[in-house]
This record gives sequence, structure tokens and C-alpha cells, in this order.
Amino acid sequence: MSQELRINNNKFIDQTTRLSFKFNGEKLYGYKGDTLASALLANNIHLVGRSFKYHRPRGIMTCGSEEPNAIVQIGNDPSLTDPNVRATEIELYEGLEAFSQNCWPNVKFDIGGINNLLSPLLPAGFYYKTFMWPASFWEKYEFFIRHSAGLGKSPTKPDRDIYDHKYYHCDVLVVGGGISGIMAAKLSAENNNETLLIDDKNILGGTTIYQNNDCFQIDGIHTNYWLENEIKKIKNIKNLTIKTRTSLAAYHGYNYLLAKENLSDHLSPDERKNKIRQRLWKIRAKKVIIATGSIERPLIFNNNDRPGIMLSSAIKKFIDFYGVKTGKEISLFTNNDSVYETAISLKKSGVNIISIIDIRDKSSSKIVKEVEKHNIKIYWNHTIVNTEGYRRISFIEIMKLSDDGSGVIGKKIKLKTDCLGISGGWTPMVHLFTQSGGKLKFRSNDNVFLPDKNKTPSDQISIGSCNGDFDIKDIILNSNKDVKTFLGIENSPFDNLKVESSREEMKRNIWLLPSDKPIGKTKPFLDFQNDSTAKDVKLALREGFKSIEHVKRYTTTGMGTDQGKLSNMHALGIIAETTGTNMGELGTTTFRPPYTPLTFGAIVGRNVGEFFDHTRKTAMHNWHVQNKAKFENVGQWKRAWYYPKNGETMFEAVQRESKAARESVGILDASTLGKIDIQGTDASEFLNRVYTNAWSKLAVGKCRYGLMLNEDGMVYDDGVTTRLSENHYIMTTTTGGAANVLTKLEDYLQTEWPELDVYLTTVTDHFSTISICGPNSKKILSKVIPDLDLSDENFPHMSFKNSIINGIKCRVMRISFTGEHSYEINIQSNYAKHVWELCMDAGKNYNITPYGTETMHLLRAEKGFIITGQDTDGTMTPSDLQMDWIIGKKKFDFIGKRSLYRSDTIRDDRKQLVGLLTDDPKEILEEGAQIVEKLNQKPVEMLGHVTSSYFSPNLNKSIALAVIKSGKKLKGKKFFVPMENKNINVTVTDTVFFDKENKRLNA
Amino acid sequence: MFIINCPYCGERDQTEFSSGGEAHIARPKQPTELSDDEWAEFLFMRKNIKGIQFERWNHSHGCRKWFNVVRDTSNDKIHAVYKMGEKPPVNK
Amino acid sequence: MLNFETTLQDSKSYGDLTLSEVEPILKINLRSNKREFSTKIGKLLSIIPPIEANTSSSNEDYSVLWLSPDEWLIYSNNKISYEQQNLLEENLFNNISNINQGSVTNVTDHWVMINLKGYKIYDLLSKSSPYDFKNFKMKKGSVTQTLLNHTDVILHNIYDNNLNLFVRRSFSEDLWLWINDSARFL
Repeated sequence: MSQELRINNNKFIDQTTRLSFKFNGEKLYGYKGDTLASALLANNIHLVGRSFKYHRPRGIMTCGSEEPNAIVQIGNDPSLTDPNVRATEIELYEGLEAFSQNCWPNVKFDIGGINNLLSPLLPAGFYYKTFMWPASFWEKYEFFIRHSAGLGKSPTKPDRDIYDHKYYHCDVLVVGGGISGIMAAKLSAENNNETLLIDDKNILGGTTIYQNNDCFQIDGIHTNYWLENEIKKIKNIKNLTIKTRTSLAAYHGYNYLLAKENLSDHLSPDERKNKIRQRLWKIRAKKVIIATGSIERPLIFNNNDRPGIMLSSAIKKFIDFYGVKTGKEISLFTNNDSVYETAISLKKSGVNIISIIDIRDKSSSKIVKEVEKHNIKIYWNHTIVNTEGYRRISFIEIMKLSDDGSGVIGKKIKLKTDCLGISGGWTPMVHLFTQSGGKLKFRSNDNVFLPDKNKTPSDQISIGSCNGDFDIKDIILNSNKDVKTFLGIENSPFDNLKVESSREEMKRNIWLLPSDKPIGKTKPFLDFQNDSTAKDVKLALREGFKSIEHVKRYTTTGMGTDQGKLSNMHALGIIAETTGTNMGELGTTTFRPPYTPLTFGAIVGRNVGEFFDHTRKTAMHNWHVQNKAKFENVGQWKRAWYYPKNGETMFEAVQRESKAARESVGILDASTLGKIDIQGTDASEFLNRVYTNAWSKLAVGKCRYGLMLNEDGMVYDDGVTTRLSENHYIMTTTTGGAANVLTKLEDYLQTEWPELDVYLTTVTDHFSTISICGPNSKKILSKVIPDLDLSDENFPHMSFKNSIINGIKCRVMRISFTGEHSYEINIQSNYAKHVWELCMDAGKNYNITPYGTETMHLLRAEKGFIITGQDTDGTMTPSDLQMDWIIGKKKFDFIGKRSLYRSDTIRDDRKQLVGLLTDDPKEILEEGAQIVEKLNQKPVEMLGHVTSSYFSPNLNKSIALAVIKSGKKLKGKKFFVPMENKNINVTVTDTVFFDKENKRLNA
Repeated sequence: MFIINCPYCGERDQTEFSSGGEAHIARPKQPTELSDDEWAEFLFMRKNIKGIQFERWNHSHGCRKWFNVVRDTSNDKIHAVYKMGEKPPVNK
Repeated sequence: MLNFETTLQDSKSYGDLTLSEVEPILKINLRSNKREFSTKIGKLLSIIPPIEANTSSSNEDYSVLWLSPDEWLIYSNNKISYEQQNLLEENLFNNISNINQGSVTNVTDHWVMINLKGYKIYDLLSKSSPYDFKNFKMKKGSVTQTLLNHTDVILHNIYDNNLNLFVRRSFSEDLWLWINDSARFL
């Protein structure tokens, strides 16, 4: 392979381990330690993608997470492929396959490139302006837009990778492992703080770890050697945990931070097997030290987006860290001193530097003098007015700047170059700081937004270049001082370091560099990913947009996957300049998490597949499974829904089960009902206050149905409560309401009625409940518990008995939710399955039929019994349900009582529960269907809706419950239920359809 | 996600708690004597202010106790926690 | 006698980490805010319910876990028969609840107790519990109620890297699967 762009003997790249990879199908090689970007550059590939709007060829521009252009699709496995990955961040592994995005048919010839020629027709807001009208055309436009836009392809199959979550608590979190982060971590950990240091790279040390330059020294050695030594030392500190390949995504209040650790993205597919791919760290730190550094700014000039144009700092990292020359004839363009460091690095590696174009008049700092010694041509007070080269930069054209910098003068000079490094200064990475609630201030001499020390939450600091220190001397001095103060440390090993650096004296900033052409004929790109130019921003301002948040959305500047890490400052600068506003007053757009994109996998962790939601199971669950039950989700419970036999449909099974329960005996697992054990001398008084009816006179051993309201008078829950002894009750709640009812009752006891002597304990899972119902239920129970006297005299309806089944205590209630003679056995759950089997055994000769929730619902509907949550929806009073009989009108008070005679609750045109019969008895209504009186009305008036509907096998006709306006007085009235293709005629009836005299309860 | 200092269990993650809305709205002792408007005032009217708010919280996944919290809704800073029935530690 | 069938009936190990359901043991929930309650319990069980939050007290036979200022969970440290469980429950009920000194509620089958052992148990719990285990793991006898994989649990530190976890019976299979899944990725 040709690796003529490689420098040998680089310590960060393992040149003994060659890795093969594919880019757009072409087989290429790189080395262990490379990123995809460095490996591509070593293969002389700059062109990696197309821009979003104009489909202009774009190349690798940076070496980090701020990369706007080199966005690739990794892999093509339909369940593992990853779109929108930054080539600068993906570590190379054997067998890596990457593809360019946003181009068709390929990156070198892209049909969408025609948009580039049409670009005068595609100004800011083009989509908003053009595709708004006519509205009916939107679908056609959308088709066109969706086909030509879009970044990357989503995986089409479920992700096979494993993602993990981890909560982590520490005293101090240090974000960023550059020189200031390393210093902070050492100071923190050596002073008794449990410290976590995280860095998104695979190697600690930030940019200093490859800063091998005579101008920058600490205690007489180059900064890289000094830092390398420090990193070796901190690895042995006991209190310090170091996580590399871990990027901080979000910084929330109370120092709650989310970080994503990449555990196997850098491994080959074989090595990844059975390993966690990514782990989301949920960190709680008592204190946070932000040392996230800064990123270099581009310069905004005509045609500044060609492949081969890169940040100067990226060129430096590719040569110093990855050992890759990004070109053979490199030019540098700057407004500050940092490109001179790049120049020295290039020179040392024998790269030819064509020229340095500097918009400043001069700079006489140490590093510039050093460069001048190498006889490199520097064009002071010059700017680039144009670049050439379609798939790779080939020429630059430069001219002298006018005195005020607004125009160019003199002769145009054309220089041949195959790579251009640009630097517009540095932007501190204040994203995390502002996410946490910190406020920024503006420093005008170098145009940076910095953390405002007076508006920084007390439990965090920012240090290093994210705090605006760009000179290594300042970084070391201030980081040391600030961390000491922050953590209350007296002495530090960094107190007397001797630091040498090259101090930058001269600064000049021009947000939009002039060209010899009028601005309308130029393409000065601001946001490289979203293709917005300085022109677009100016247009937006002319059109009247003033707020930066509006300009951002109108021009889409800063709205790509890179979130404008490179472009935002220039956009703000141009807005400020154009509108004559001070940048500090203009402020910034809001920085929102995540800092870099997170995978959905990392967000959900292991809560996928069987762990997506909880499943609660009853003690009889396995029996239901063995007997082929279909299950229904009720909250988190898995409840037996129906038990199909011999290929029955659901309808057939439910009809059979419903008939069997009324004709002989049915058995139901009712264990999911909430059960609350109530003890205390005021238990009766408590029940009086929480239920609408009276409880004081309920005799020991008796059961009573109760309705619980909200304070607004609406039905909240219902169930049967049994008086076990003088001061001991057991309350049942609905399945779904169990947890909320307990919380609500505790609330009243703790806050409103602390004087009551009442204790509540949930026993929902302790007891399982077996309900046996039907005319033969008594025979079954007498076989299972032969000692129990089941005569109506001893054990009447709505009473309870303590009993024993084969040595195990149980509570038997004679209560009924079906209108049949029935019993509920409550027994400790670990014995419940066995008792269920005993019942089944005892019922063999009576065709005992297990039934599920569907049959239960049907049977109770035949009796007109409500299900809270199905026939009620939080807007039904007891009176609306025709249950006025359950209101204890003589009671002084109960929850919701006062609301029952508010002007709104006594209206007689409220929706009220009624029975509904279809004129055609075979016609079954749909639950939720609307009820109307007039069909030809426009708009048609909705009078109510169907809440429950079944075909009753015991009545041989369809029955339904519904809520209808003023329903109570409409008995016999005819309505329509309009459906998609027919209108169903219905008649309002009583809510009780079956056994209106309740004869069967004692049958 | 806050950290709430449960007055019974100590500092815990917010996920262990549930919010119960505005605090110090006592249930009237004699609801029957209230007019519709007075009852509606108790039932529906809540301040929902930006700034210092007195709230009820329940340590629902811990000791299940209800208590009061003084929270600045503009920055989620919790200034105090105190038990039910206790007087607010700062002027309400 | 009826067949006794617990939910998990299983024990598993992953490296030095072992997980197992412990049955049959007695579990009783106590609630009281009465002054004499503590001495009553002391007389009945020779153990005083702790008043300090997040702690427990134990003797040879029982552990009493603090759940809230007026609530405790007692469990038997040893496996005991159904008859013994019954006698204990009745004794407590008659001497506490029946004389209005608080409530006594049998929750034996409400909770499933899982024992977790091994030096990585806290790594496992931290995968889905927001609780800071720093103090908990250092102090034998610590108790906490928190969330594990969004499920309510009570945790009781019995010795170094050895704890009992209580989860509601209906959630136990679900949490058991989660614990086993997570144990594979420590």
C-alpha cells in the first residue's frame, strides 16, 4: 500500500498493526490508533461527503466532535448500521466499512450537485417560502425534499447490540483530560476526594500531549513530555477513576450528568461479541470541574468549504498525533498565532509550506519569529478572496486588505496549494457550563463568551481554555489556583512550575472576510453541514428577523448534527456587526444537551425486549399458561383474558365461559385486585371518611361495597371491604388503582387526619384470590373446605369466614361481581396455585370452567355493575352512574361530598350511565362509538358514547352500557350509533339486564 | 433530576419521590358550610408561581411519608424541607 | 398440607456472585406510633425496633428493618415452618394489634427475599438504582428502600458484600430476570 503521506516512528500509532477497512467499497489500509479520518487522509482521501442543501463536495475539516462534513454511515448490517458518525471520532478497526452520506449515486458524482448551480434560487428560508403554497401541493414537495435531503439511513431491524446503564456517585467529576483536567484530577484525588476523570478520546492529554515545541516548556522540558509523565503518575492514585472514550452528553441541575462510554465501537466485529457496546453513565457529583477545552474557529471567506480546507489545529493533530500529512503543498490562513505552531510541526515533518496568509499587520511573538527563521513566506495584512478546485482545493487567490478591513486592494496573487489550514481564533467550549444553568459574559478583545464567575453555580468551576485561558502559562497558573480554592487545598505540587510559552500580542478579527467580488457572487460558508452562508444571515436580517434564535431557525445555521460548534460564533459576529449591536448584549443561542449525539440504544439501555416494561404475575400464572390462556395487560399485570379450547375464537371462548359460569360454575383468578390491611381504633371512622357510604354499623364478619371519590366528587375507585374484627378491615381496590389508592389514603392520614389511629399496610401480593362463581360454587367450596358451614344462615351473602384448607389459613368471602352465588378464597400466595388446583379437581363433575377478564367483564355488564376506568373516566359522579343509593347523605363529611352539590355536578344534563340495546339483538356495538339523535345535523351533536358492549349468551342478545347526556330520564328513547358504513338503531334501557331481582345470589 | 433531602431518610434521588402540588392548602373542616365559590377556591385554585414555591412531596419509593419542600421553581433549588404539620422555616 | 410454591425456586452464580431465593421465612410488617410499642416488641421478640433511619436490629432469630418512623419489617433469620410462622404472627397480633398498640400484618408472601453475595453486588445494583451505596455498604445492618430497575425494593446489608433484597412477589420473576441478565455483564 502507498502510505507516502505517513510519517514513521509516531508513538500514538502502532505501525506494526495494519488494519484493512473499506470506504465506499474501496479497500484501504490504516494502522491501529488511527481514526477513520486520519486513515482516509493517509490514503490521500479528503472528499468524504456532500453538503446538505447544495450537495457541494466536502472534506474532513476537523479532528474532533465538532466535525461538520465528514459524517459517514458505518456498516451495512440492517440491525447494526450507524448513521451520522463523525469520521474524526470513529477509531479504526479491522474490517470497518464506511459510506458517504447525502449523495447519490456516489460521492464523486452526485446528482444533487445541481442544487449548487441553482444556489441563487435557494436562499435562506427557501423551503419556507416556496413550499408553503398551494397547501395541496405539499405532498409532492415533500416527496422531492425527502429524496434529495436527509443524512444517513436508519437501521431497519432491531439493534442486536447490548447497551448498559450505570449510576455513579463521586465527590468530584473532572470533565476533560487535557492538561488542566489532569492537574485538577490529581489535586482532587490526592486530597481525599473520590474523583472521576472522563475524556472522550482513547488517550488522555488533550492537545498538549502532542505539543512538542521548543516554545512551550514546563520545568525545562517540552509540555508533551511533562504531561506524559503526569499522566503516568495519576494512574496510580487510589481515589481516582479514569474513563476514556467517555463523552459527556448532558449536565443537569444538582450536578446530575450523563456521559456515554464507548466500550466496543473501536473493536473489530469478532472482538465485540457478547460485549456491551455503550454504557450511559448517570453521574451524581458533589462538585464538577469542567475542563472541556476550546475548538478552533474557521475563517469566513469566499469558497471556504472545499475539500482540503481544514482547521489549522486539525492539520497539526494529524501530523503530530496521527503522523499523517494532510497535503504536500500546504498553505495556512490565520488571524492569530496558532497556525505558526502548525507551521513548525509541518516543517519538522518535512512538509512544504507554500505560504502563510495573516490578516494582521504583524506579530512578533516568539513562535512567529521561530517560523520566520524557516524562510516561510508570510503575507501580512492579506486575505484569501477565492479558492479553486472542485473535489479538492487546488489554488487560492489572495489580496491585500484595505485599512479598515472591509475591502481588498492591489494585485491578486494566485498560489497553488493542495491543503489549506485556517484559524479564526478559539472558542471556549461552554456548552456544559450553560446547560447547568451558568451564565456567560463576553470578552471583547478576543471575542469569546466565557463562564461568568459571578453567575456560576457554587458546586462547579470551569478551568483551562474553556474558561478563556489560551496561553499554557495562564492555563497552568489559573487552573492550579482555581482548583485549590474550589476544593480548599492549601499546597499543590503545581505551585512553582516554571512555564515557558509564546505570548500572543497582536489580534485582529474580521467576521466576514472581503472578496474582490460583490457578496452576492460569493460563497462564504458559515455552517458547513447545513450550507448556510454569511449571505443567508444577512438576508434574514434584511427580512426583519432580529432575535438570534429566529435567525438560527430561518437560516438553519447551527442546526445540523454538529449543532453549529464551528459556525455559531461567526453567525453571531455577523449579526452583531450588521445590526450594530454589541455581541455581549446579543448573547448566544441556547446550548441544549446532548453535546454530541447519543444513540437511542444508550438512552434505553437494557430496557428493551423482555425488559421493556415490567410484567407482574399472579401465583397461578403458570397454571394459566399451561392451560393455554390468552393474556391481557392490565397495568403491568398479565391477566388471563380467556382460555380458548380446540381452536375457539375469542368470541366463542368467552360465550362458552360466560354460559358455564351462570349454568354451573366458573373460576377466576382475581389476585390482582389491590388489598389494603387496615388496623387501628379509628379504622371505621376512617372508612366513613374515605367512602361515600356508612361503615360504623357494619358488623364484624360482614363485607360491604364502597365507592371512593376524589375531592371533586368524581368516582375514583371501588371495591369490597370486609370487617375482620372490631378494629381490623381488609379493603380491596381495583387492579389498576391499588398503588394510587394507598398513596391517597396515606396522604389523608398523614396530612389531613393525623389524629386518626389507623395503620395501612398493602398485602396485595401476600394474598391470592380465587373467585368461584355460579349455582354450583357452593358444592365446590364444600369439597375444598368440608368443615365450613356454607348454609345461608351461617354464611350469607356479603359476609366472611376465617377458615383452614389442609392446615393453611384462609379467608373466604361470599361476595359476587357477577350476580351469581359466589365465593372468594384469599390465601397466602405460595399456596394459592395448589388451592386453585384443588378447586379445579373438586369441580370436575360440574364442568368447572376457568374464565378470564373478558368473561368477568361480560358477566358484570349483564348485571349493570360498573368498572371504574371503563364506565367511568374521572368525570362521573355517583349520581351520574345512577348510584345515588350509595351516598351516605346523613354523614357529616367524606372525601368529595361537598362537590356533589356544586352547581356543575347537579346539572341534570350531565352525561349519565344508561343501558343500551340494539334494535337488532345480534348487532354488537363498538366500545367508544358515539351516540347521536339526529343524523342530518351539521355538525352532528354527540350525546355520549358506548362504554361497555358484549353479546350476552345468557340473554341471547347484545347489551351495552353507555353514557348519554341527561340519560337518566331517557329510558325508552331511540338513538343512532353511526358507524363507518351504517347507522345502528339503539334504545336506552335500564342498566341491569339480567336477574333484576338478584335471585341468583342465593340460588 | 433533583436530590431531595427526605426529612426521614436523608438525601435521595428525585426518582424515589412524587410531587403532590402546592402545600398549605388545608382541607376545610366544615365543607358543608362553604359556598360553591369558597369550595372551588380550595378545590381548584393553585398558584403555580415562578420563584419560591411551597410544595408537598411524597417519598413514594422510600418511607412513603409526605412532607413539605420549599423550592425555587426558576432554578429548582430546594431551600428547605420540613415535616407535615410543621411551620414553614422561611416566611411564606 | 398444601403444596408450597415460591416464585423463583432458583439460585444462580456468576463468577463469585451468587443469587438465591431464601424460603420459607416469616415476614411481618409492623406499624405503630405508640410509646409502649418498642418495649412490647422487645418483650415479645427480645429485639428492639430501631428508631434510627436506614438501620436494622438483629438477634439470632430475627431482623427488624426500619422502613419509616412508624413502620418496620421483621423477618426470621432462619427458615421456619408454617406452624411456627403462625404462632409468631398470632402472638404479635394478640399483643400489639388487639390491644391497640399498632398494627401487625403478615407479609410473608407479599415479599420475596433474594440473597445476593459477592464483591460485585454493588456494581450490579448501580446499573439501575439511583441510590448512593457508599455509606450503605460500609455499615453492616444498613437498610434502604429504593428502586432497582424501576421496581421498589428493600435492601438489608447483612455482612460485607452480602445483602438481602426484598421485592414484591408479583414483580419478583421480572426483577430476577433483570438481575440475572445484568449479572452477565459485570
